[in-house]
Amino acid sequence: MFTQHDQLKSSYDVVIIGAGGHGLAAAYYLARDHGITNVAVLEKGYIGGGNTGRNTTIIRSNYLTPEGVQFYDESVRLWQDLSQDFDLNLFYSTRGHFTLAHTDAAMRTMRWRAEVNKHFGVQSEAVDAQSVQEAVPMMDISCGGHAPVVGALYHAPGAVARHDAVAWGYGRGADRRGVEIHQKTEVLSIETTDSGSGPAVSGVMTNRGHISTKRVLCAVAGSTPRLLSMVGLTSPLYIHPLQAMVSEPVKPWLDPIIVSGSLHVYVSQTARGELVMGASLDPYELHATRSTLDFAESLSMHMLEMFPFLGDVKVVRQWAGMADMTPDFAPIMGKTSVKGFYLDSGWGTWGFKATPVCGKTMSHTVATDQPHALITGFGLDRFRRYALTGEKGAASVGH
Amino acid sequence: MKIMTCPINGPRLISEFAYAGELKAMPDPAQATDEQWADYVFNKNGPAGIKREWWCHTSSGVWFIAERDTSRDVIVRTYLYTTEVPRT
Amino acid sequence: MMRLPTLPGEWIDRTRTVTFTFENEPVTGYVGDTISTALAAEGKRIFGRSFKYHRPRGFLSFANHDVNVMTQVASIGRSTPNVRGDMEAPIAHSKVTAVNTRGGLKNDRFALLNHFSRFLPVGFYYKAFHSKRLFPMWERLFRRLTGLGTVDLDASHRSTPKRYDFCDVLVIGAGPSGLSAALAAAAAGADVLLIDENRALGGSGLYARAGSDAVVAKTQALVSAVRAESRIRVLLSSFASGYYADHWVSVIAPEAMVKVRARSVVIAQGAYEQPCVFRGNDLPGVMLASGAQRLMYRFSIGPARRITLLTANAEGYAAALDAKSRGIEVECVLDLRATPGPDSTALMAQLTRQGIRVVTDVQPIEAVAGRAGSVARLLYRVAGVEDSVAVDGIWMSVGFAPANAFLHQAGAGMRYESSIEQFVPERLPAGLYACGKVAGAYSLDARMADGERAGRQAVSALGAMDSLPVAPVLAPIECPNHPYPVFAHLAGKEFVDFDEDLQIKDIENACQEGFDSTELLKRYSTMGMGPSQGKHSNLNALRILAAWRGDALGEHALTTSRPMFHPVPMSHLAGRGFMPERKTPMDADHAALGAVWMPAANWRRPEYYAVDGVSREAAITAEVHAVRTGVGLIDVGTLGKIEAHGSQAGEFLDRIYTARYSNLKVGMTRYGLMLDEAGVIIDDGVIARLAPECFYFTTTTGNSATLFREFGRLATWWGLPVGLVNLTGHYAAFNLAGPHSRAVLRTLTDLDLSDAAFPYLAVREGLVAGVPCRLMRVGFVGELGYEIHLPFESGTEVWRALLNAGKASGIRPFGVEAQRMLRLEKGHVIIGQDTDGVTNALEIDAPWAIKMDKPFFIGQRSLAVLAKQPLRQTLVGFQMPLGVTERPKECHLIIDQGRIAGRVTSVGFSPTLGRVIGLALVDPVVAAHPTLRVRMDAGVEVLLEVTSHPFYDAAGARQKMEVAS
Repeated sequence: MFTQHDQLKSSYDVVIIGAGGHGLAAAYYLARDHGITNVAVLEKGYIGGGNTGRNTTIIRSNYLTPEGVQFYDESVRLWQDLSQDFDLNLFYSTRGHFTLAHTDAAMRTMRWRAEVNKHFGVQSEAVDAQSVQEAVPMMDISCGGHAPVVGALYHAPGAVARHDAVAWGYGRGADRRGVEIHQKTEVLSIETTDSGSGPAVSGVMTNRGHISTKRVLCAVAGSTPRLLSMVGLTSPLYIHPLQAMVSEPVKPWLDPIIVSGSLHVYVSQTARGELVMGASLDPYELHATRSTLDFAESLSMHMLEMFPFLGDVKVVRQWAGMADMTPDFAPIMGKTSVKGFYLDSGWGTWGFKATPVCGKTMSHTVATDQPHALITGFGLDRFRRYALTGEKGAASVGH
Repeated sequence: MKIMTCPINGPRLISEFAYAGELKAMPDPAQATDEQWADYVFNKNGPAGIKREWWCHTSSGVWFIAERDTSRDVIVRTYLYTTEVPRT
Repeated sequence: MMRLPTLPGEWIDRTRTVTFTFENEPVTGYVGDTISTALAAEGKRIFGRSFKYHRPRGFLSFANHDVNVMTQVASIGRSTPNVRGDMEAPIAHSKVTAVNTRGGLKNDRFALLNHFSRFLPVGFYYKAFHSKRLFPMWERLFRRLTGLGTVDLDASHRSTPKRYDFCDVLVIGAGPSGLSAALAAAAAGADVLLIDENRALGGSGLYARAGSDAVVAKTQALVSAVRAESRIRVLLSSFASGYYADHWVSVIAPEAMVKVRARSVVIAQGAYEQPCVFRGNDLPGVMLASGAQRLMYRFSIGPARRITLLTANAEGYAAALDAKSRGIEVECVLDLRATPGPDSTALMAQLTRQGIRVVTDVQPIEAVAGRAGSVARLLYRVAGVEDSVAVDGIWMSVGFAPANAFLHQAGAGMRYESSIEQFVPERLPAGLYACGKVAGAYSLDARMADGERAGRQAVSALGAMDSLPVAPVLAPIECPNHPYPVFAHLAGKEFVDFDEDLQIKDIENACQEGFDSTELLKRYSTMGMGPSQGKHSNLNALRILAAWRGDALGEHALTTSRPMFHPVPMSHLAGRGFMPERKTPMDADHAALGAVWMPAANWRRPEYYAVDGVSREAAITAEVHAVRTGVGLIDVGTLGKIEAHGSQAGEFLDRIYTARYSNLKVGMTRYGLMLDEAGVIIDDGVIARLAPECFYFTTTTGNSATLFREFGRLATWWGLPVGLVNLTGHYAAFNLAGPHSRAVLRTLTDLDLSDAAFPYLAVREGLVAGVPCRLMRVGFVGELGYEIHLPFESGTEVWRALLNAGKASGIRPFGVEAQRMLRLEKGHVIIGQDTDGVTNALEIDAPWAIKMDKPFFIGQRSLAVLAKQPLRQTLVGFQMPLGVTERPKECHLIIDQGRIAGRVTSVGFSPTLGRVIGLALVDPVVAAHPTLRVRMDAGVEVLLEVTSHPFYDAAGARQKMEVAS
């Protein structure tokens, strides 16, 4: 599926740092849509080994802001055709997605999101508790009496997919078009020169040698602050672990994806029958992927409030990823003040679903040195201008 | 669960503590340019490493500074803000 | 299979039986049996079907990862999925069935898949069925095929307790090394907790006997010593599920989770025996030798009548002797090695004496099934010549994988020790020790010595921050591990991973396709992803990967080990749950008055008071009406209530709120907004000055705890000596409001309530109904009103007194809904409803509340930046044109020329004004229009009239009592 390259070349037109879904998607579209194939994707670990392989695979576009809805809607559209584009089954499975509201304040937010979604042609609907009960008849909608469900945002296109396969599909497609993927290749420094109008990228030093390049795309999620420091940039990114866990396989009983912000639960059942479960961010900054017991305890407690019959179902594994959070819950993408240094970051807890559209928009941005129309609201300089996006207005979990 | 040492109450479960972000020096609002102020408001402390952070022992309300290695989840030391003026 | 003669120490009680059904056939076992051993005692050999190809499966390891023996157990009240037959005791009268079959275990219709395995290579599902149109159909089929057991959707909530335990030294694993470690640690004075997942102490020291009593005697001596040592506490039938930071270990006992905090931890979990990989190695009857030993000595089960040992170590020879001594015929010992080591050679002599032949340099070719589906023959090759042996059992003893999951989780480093072909610890974190097989010690004496060493070290370095150097490996002379026990067959079916039905070619194909690193291989092939999490498969897969790449095994990283060690029921993790709910003192009174509740953070508040025969709307309208025309009483005790003391308390509040407090007169109150550093509104409240150096103020309900904490941080940071007291839980509070409120209050207090003595916005302290209260004349609802704060314990008494005193004036308790309407009529904002997570203080049209000329307040500098920019949105009032019956809902969008220009934040029918009014956050350009277009349900767009707000009594005359009441 992937070609092994023994050595790095001395120069590339574009160097992409990070062989996760985002980096590989950008490489794929650079090669396919822009004819730029002299590209190296550098990966410290292995393909798809970061958040691409650690997320809970939920795909949706029911965001709050016009920028967010249009961006993720384009992503969902791309997702739906990817299996055929790749000739690789991503198990893209449209399940429907309920974001539960347990208070009237949360219900207001659901309506807000539904209205904005509908405005942009995205299928979302604020529904009442009865509709939730009919769609998920086995759920205790009183949630053990602690937090009765008053309604939900229902998003019919909500889907799950096989996360690893996405990275493989983009990787294979890029590989076939001449892109070089170099695993176990760590970036040690990024060189810049003074272009007369500020610094410009000139090369990358790795543990396997030096590369000359004028364009670097950084797609490294939790490692973004370290790479930014290599080119002298700062950002509002903060890194918190996001944990998840999975149960033993059981026969299918849960079709839709269920999210409760108040109970800090999101859950779906995979094609293999496992329940994939997640919760909210860990409470403090950490650039590591250790697991905690309190996570598994509190998530299980909340799971049983919604689904009290799951007590005998066993958890087999828990894990963590590093989420690169932003103050306004929107990504940081596009050009930077360092010429030739392009950023694809700020993916917090919502990066997986954006994989295809990130590849599309970032490849355009790198190829033309102009931000793609869908990402003009996501630039790093928006904070300096106090032009934050309103995504945080939803103040619900972001999964 | 990790153990954190409160300078007043001694070692306790980290679930008893609240994290309130890094200790940042505030620029003089009257002197700072808009850009410097935005940098103070929004930008964070960058790569992993040993950070100085505000933590609170919630049940007693004690605020203190923790030096923590954010690359390894290791608490290096903790002390009261008032007894040791941190270097900035 | 058969039940063997009675043996001292066996785990079954032959005096008591237990009866259940398996696949609808009655089974009787002994108390102490597991489901699998009870079945085996009745001669059954096939217990389940495999995950992918639905092949018949029996015992493999008998060590809590015989995943192919997953059962569904239906008993009274619940049906439990994925019960592990090798571990779980049968429940009397339960109905047990194999999971993952269609039409029963015997006639599993999905067994057909076995014949298609050639067409189902690794990654198959990635390569097919991905037509966008057809995939949903395929997926429904796959989902039915996969999934193991069935969740009982009617099972009741299982509430499981949690316990805590503390010890100096936690020893995980009670085999010879763990027992020795526990004894050494206790002897050094430590408080020791020894846990083991089995129901008895001793580990392999009681079942790997080599046909003699010597090992047993030594082990039993250790067991007796441990039992006699008061400093050792023993927890059996309990496994550690995860190793977490700072020696925090979750232990899963049968009925509870025990969270153990240890000062140091000794890992003595031994090693998992690994299968030999050859064609047919999954047939029922082919199993690990250690599993057979456990069956023979713990349950007195002979898993076969006539066996061969397929071995590559002395442990295999020992197992052959054990079989013989338990009366099982040993046809021969087949050694993969050309030259058996010294330990094997010594045991070989004993075997030979008993007439058992040993063949060396053997290569297995294929295990062949008989008519019953279980193994009947092993084909093998010696020196190029094929031979075969007719047996009903093949026991494999070719090597082990160290059970080092917790060493990984704790961050230990590993190295490959080639003398024993095993990974051993290279560096260990402080307070963590390893001994026994997990550290490379295999002989009984070596394990005991290693355990003693670890136990002593664990005590000597208690509390040390640095780790000790890792002790040298007490490696056996004879290597226990075959470097490559993998024998490919042209026809395949040599299973590497039994959970996932992965064969050699699956691993090689994955490598071929570029998934040639440990983690990629795991993810692509799903190797090790099944319920046994790679315990019997990761090592062999890694060997195949290394061989494919031509690397040494030691160059490959092991896959990351994460909790859970064994799967853990969610009820254990969840425990009983703890969801505290706060109630104000009047909670019972509210209920008696008909309160319909709504949640407010972790409190509950009356939404309104239901009246028999009256609709919700009408009840709320009546409450509003009472406040506007008479008097009403609302419980506001959930508000945050804080006191700030000290000479600089005013300056402190100046820095926190947008208004100014250092110049606030004693006896007066002032409203304030609280912002974050970016200028976004996060809270609001009323601040009263009770004395020159004492302020009392409120926060919103949801924010009270976090804000109180944050005030403490700010005071520390700013170096302002302010004393802060959180009175939220100490004080009750209610608001008596309406034109008759003064008259009602007057009957219960001696305070001078005249406008001159107690003007609008003043605060007074005095007795109400004999209780000392703080009274604030504030006007959130827009009428003459008094917010009364008083000690929590007197809340009910004064509440009742007020309701009593107001009877003549028609007093009504009112709830949150009525209050929302009353404040909306006044145009007062609710933070979090009329604002959102990004609304800044310039956007709510309240310049009067923001004192930009103060030296500093949080968010001020950012507001100065924002003030230079065009306003993004602004808050406007609107009303529905008279005669329009539709009513927009909160968060319906304002549309201008086809684009989103804002949203409705509050809306309702004002009984006072007789029309629908509301607030909206809107683009300022659009807000300047006389009308707004709102898009309502079903896309209907309606025009709203922009109007000034307050909608009612704009001059505020009523709350100031400038009109006669």
